[in-house]
Order: sequence, then structure tokens, then C-alpha cells
Amino acid sequence: MKKIALAVALAFAATGALAQEKTIKIAGFGAKSGVVRSFGINSEAAMLAAADQINRAGGIRLADGSKAKIKIDYYDDRCTAEEGISVARRMAGTDALVGVGPTCSNVAEPLFGILQKRVGNASDSGLQFPIFTDVAIKGGLAQISEWAFRNVPNEMTMYSSLFYWLKTQHPNLKTVYGGVEEDFAHSRATWYVVMKNRAEANGYTVAGESKWLLADTNFATQVREMKKANADIVAISAHPFSTCGVLKEMQRQGVKPKLLVGLTSTSSLETMQGCAKQAEGMMIPTSFAPVNKEATAAANATAKFKGSADLHSMAAWENMFILKQVMESEKLSGNPKDLQADRRKVRDGLAKLRVTKGLLGDTKRTDDREADKPYLFVQARGGNWVVLHNPL
Amino acid sequence: MLDFLQALSDGVLFGATYALIGIGFTLVFGVMHKINMAYGAASVGGAYCGLLVLQVMAGAPPLVVFFCAFLAGGLLGWLVYLTCFHFIPITNPLATLMATVGMLLLIDEIIVHTTAGMPMAYPAMFDDVMLRVGEFTLRGDLMMVFAVSVLCMAGLLALLYRTRLGLATRAVSQQTVAALLCGIRVGQVNATTFVVTGLLGGIAGAMIGASVGTLSPLLTTPLTVKGLIVTVIGGLGSVPGAIIAGLMVGGFESVLQLYRGVTERDLYVMLLLFVFLVFRPGGLFAAKGGRD
Repeated sequence: MKKIALAVALAFAATGALAQEKTIKIAGFGAKSGVVRSFGINSEAAMLAAADQINRAGGIRLADGSKAKIKIDYYDDRCTAEEGISVARRMAGTDALVGVGPTCSNVAEPLFGILQKRVGNASDSGLQFPIFTDVAIKGGLAQISEWAFRNVPNEMTMYSSLFYWLKTQHPNLKTVYGGVEEDFAHSRATWYVVMKNRAEANGYTVAGESKWLLADTNFATQVREMKKANADIVAISAHPFSTCGVLKEMQRQGVKPKLLVGLTSTSSLETMQGCAKQAEGMMIPTSFAPVNKEATAAANATAKFKGSADLHSMAAWENMFILKQVMESEKLSGNPKDLQADRRKVRDGLAKLRVTKGLLGDTKRTDDREADKPYLFVQARGGNWVVLHNPL
Repeated sequence: MLDFLQALSDGVLFGATYALIGIGFTLVFGVMHKINMAYGAASVGGAYCGLLVLQVMAGAPPLVVFFCAFLAGGLLGWLVYLTCFHFIPITNPLATLMATVGMLLLIDEIIVHTTAGMPMAYPAMFDDVMLRVGEFTLRGDLMMVFAVSVLCMAGLLALLYRTRLGLATRAVSQQTVAALLCGIRVGQVNATTFVVTGLLGGIAGAMIGASVGTLSPLLTTPLTVKGLIVTVIGGLGSVPGAIIAGLMVGGFESVLQLYRGVTERDLYVMLLLFVFLVFRPGGLFAAKGGRD
């Protein structure tokens, strides 16, 4: 009888302890439907894998010394601005402490616009909810709000370095021809603001550019223009579907540039699945490759959650560990009544960071809440992306 | 001049796929006086199903993939008929229209969820063949697409004008009540029409996949829009009209891209549609209305 009473007492004690166990909710959001669905799937998998690792190590240490487990809720913004804004408002209405996302720059830009511009400005009724972006890569977006932070690679630095390196490795190459997907914020901005500019800054002559749309199916005219220009390097700023369409048309028309440069987002499984043969030799700067033990472990952990590791999803992984560090250093209460105060602490903690630990090494944080991430150059070889050069 | 001819020939050859999509829209409209908005998506769905062959038989020849897409397109056409027309009151035009819009989105999302939205390499035939006359070139794979499309169109016309099924289809198209009185099973004819257009759609999807070299769910919306434009320009219900309009839109689009660039191209295609709607609302070859 005594044994039963003891067991009942222990069971009650355990139930009480469970009831008191705190949870920190992190909201992920990105595209999980539509043609960029793979980005959302991979980011969610990386976040879940990172949360699993953190939770298995005990969780987040709170101000009172207790530990809280992380819970991830992932929302689909369908890569549309209106849905992204709606998702952000919904997340801010829950007990989520911080949002990690979005996938698309055309979502990030208007979404950051509904956040409070300057912290502490009582006359600004914008959302006071920290967002820590993993994927949306268009330059300079975090400037829009002091609640917006990004851990995305700096394409300006990466392409500057790539063209500089190409110049030193292949001094005989003089001209660059661009191919740009005109109707996608990232690809468009990367060609006009980054690639073109950086190629010229490194002494290349831009011989022209061909334009197409994301869902185009016929690239004959554009590739013919490319063929006429007969440039040494062809730089394609487009997403995998149209990149593959153009590469296949280049093969048909016998356009063989001496070097092929691609968009950061193209260094993914999608390109290999769509046109591995035609992409052979394409060079891309990227902020992730499984080149060390930690990066390989992160990629393997993400694979267990049915996601693939690339420069975007691994930024989501990194964000989780950066947030853990910030939450612990800012001594969160973890109580529901202190939710807004805790959100502010997370924001302030992120703003204080000057260096964060990334999978490829240390990432410098800039005053405008952007990241200066380490990177390397990869090349398509035999159906895989292999490391070509580490410039750092 | 050479650039113009080159752009025109590329566009016209590629326009054959638009013609196939347009035929699907127009045939259903001709027989049932209904628009099947899911047709473009079902065509792409059929093409994706063709890729399943490669999962079972790695390295299967492209012809087998195309044939599988053809059959899957027919099956999808029948499913669209069952879900969007058979069980929905046909007298309510909005109900069937909205059902097909829903089906378009459903097929699109199924493709996206199955493939995670990733583009998939699609097998092609004669993609390394290039016919050259001086500077002028013709793509071997596009000529094959054109030839297959022409064969399909010829087959369809033969089916419509040389068989009892075609006779029944035309009878239902012209006078449903009279066809019923003659003992023609209208429901069966409608279902067969969907299967036939589905078969054509499967081939159209496969030909588009083969000519681009890649398949993506991104294709469903533009194909639906192009199919509708071709149907309106060709004349609702007119198969020859859809063929001519498909080739015309393909050529027009390609030439405009050459001279006005990609950002203005679609603007002019829409303008062409607008011109037809204002000055020739019946299209190039409007089908004569039935006595019903």
C-alpha cells in the first residue's frame, strides 16, 4: 500500500514538474507552397533539427536558472507579400518570441515596412516583433526597421571577390555577358546592382545582357543575343528553372563561354536535378558547403528532418544557435506575462552582436543589422557542387 | 531580316504546343459550351506522370515517357470530367467554371507537393540536331515537337470527321437535344471528349517539357493563359482556329520579344487579344452556333 502511495506521489510530482517546464516558441515562416516550396521545407527542417539538438542538450537557460525547451511553429507565406504580412501579424499575436524568415525578398521588403522603424518611438505603431531572416537575400533590407535582422550572405562582397579571383586566375578573359530573370526581386537586383557592377569594377567589359521571365519556356532569342556577343564569361542571375532552360538552349545553339557564373541561390539540389550536365563547370559563391565537421553534422541533422542543406537552410540553422546565445545572455524570463519584454530583449541582444559563430567560421555583424558571412566558391562537377576555392 | 525570320520560325515551331493546348480548351467548349480551366494544369500533370516511367525503368527512351504522359493526360482528363462536370449541375455555368479553377489549383499544388517545386529534367528527342542554312537554324527538337503536334491535330481531325465517335461528338456539339433524341449518349460523348483532349494535353505537356528540357509547376499558369488566348483568337469551338491561332501567337510572341524585349512582349500579346475581342469577338474561325 505504501509503495502505491509513493508511486502516486511521485507521479503527481512529475506531472507538476512537467506543468512547470517552460517553452520558448520560435516562429519560422517562408514559402511552403508554390514553386519555391523547397526553400520553406529546407528552412523548417533546419530549424527543427537545430531545436532538437538544443533541446537534447537541455534547452535555453532562463533568468531564474530554469531551462526552457524550444518549440518551432512554421508558417507558410506562399512567397507573396500580402500573405507574408498576414503571417507576421499572426505570429506577433501568438506567444512566439521571434520570427525566422522569410524566403522571398519581395515578402521581406514590405514585411519589414510594417515593423516599428525605430525602437522606442511611441508615435510609431508598427509591430514590435523581432524578425531574423535566413533566406531573403536582396541587399540592404534590414535597414528598413530596427526590429529586422538578417543572417544572409553579402552578395556584393561575394561577387566582388569572385570576379577579382577570376581576373587573377584567368587574366586573358575580358568580357562578361549577363542573363537576368527580370521578374524576380533577387535575381534582378543581383544582376543590375551586384554582378554587373562588380564585373566592371574588376576590369571586365560587360558585353550586354539578355532578359527573360521566371516562367518563360522559350529562350532561343535570348541565347542568340548571347551567342552574338561572344563574351568570355556568361553570368546568369536566375533561379534554377529558367537557368536550366537557358543552359539547355545554350547547349543546343553551341554557346560555350570560357566560364559560367551563376546566382547564389542556384548552388542547390534543384539545379542538379534539372540540368546537371549543362551546368557542369558553373561557378557560384556560396556561404555554405559541408566542408568541416560541424557543417557536415548540421547537414546530416537537417536531412533527418527531410530537408537539404544549402546556403539558405543552413542560415536558419545558424539563426537558431545565435538566438539561443542571445536568449541566454539577455536573461529572458520566459513567462507569458513578460512576452513583449522578452521580445525586446531578443531584439536588443541581436543588435548588440558584433560577431556570431557560423558553420563556415565567424560572421561579422554590421551596424545596419546585416551579416558579413564567410563564403567560398563552388563549382558544378559531375552532378554535385564541389568546393573550388576558399578565398578567406 | 534574318533575325526576324529566325525569331518567327522559332516562335511558330514552339507555337505548335500552344495550338495543342488551345485545341483542348476549344474542343471542350465546342462540345459542352464550358471552359475547362484545369486543362493546362492537367497537361503539365500528365507530363509529370510521364516521368514516373523513369523511376521504374531508369534510362527509358523518351518515346516511352511521352507515351506514358499521353495516357496519363487521358486519365487526368477523365478525372477532371468526373469531378468538375459529371456530378455538378451542368446548367450552372459558374459552378463548373469554378470547379475547374479549383481543380487547376489542386493539380498545381499536388505537383508542387510531390516535387517540392523543384524543376525536373525532361527527356528530349533530337535536341542535339540543328538544321543550318547559312546563319539560319532550325532546332531539331522543336521540329519534332511541331511534327508530333501536327500528327496529333491530324489524328484529332480524322477522329472528328471520319469516325462514328467524331460524328456523335459533332452532333452533341451542334444540337445536344437532337443528339439525345437520336440515341446518342451525351454523357458518354462528353466523357470521351475529355479523355481525348486529355490525351492531347498529355502530349502537349510532354512536348513542352521536351522543348524546354525541364518541367516545373511554374508552367501551369502561363499555359492556361496561353491556351485561353489561343482559344479566343482562334474562335471558341474551332479546332482549325486553335491550330492557326497557336502558331500565330507563338510567332507573334517571339518576334515581339526580339524587337520590344521580354518586359513588353506579353503586353503586346494581350493587346492582340484585346484587338480580337473588340473587332472580331468570334475569333478567326468562330464555330457556327447550333440551332439550340
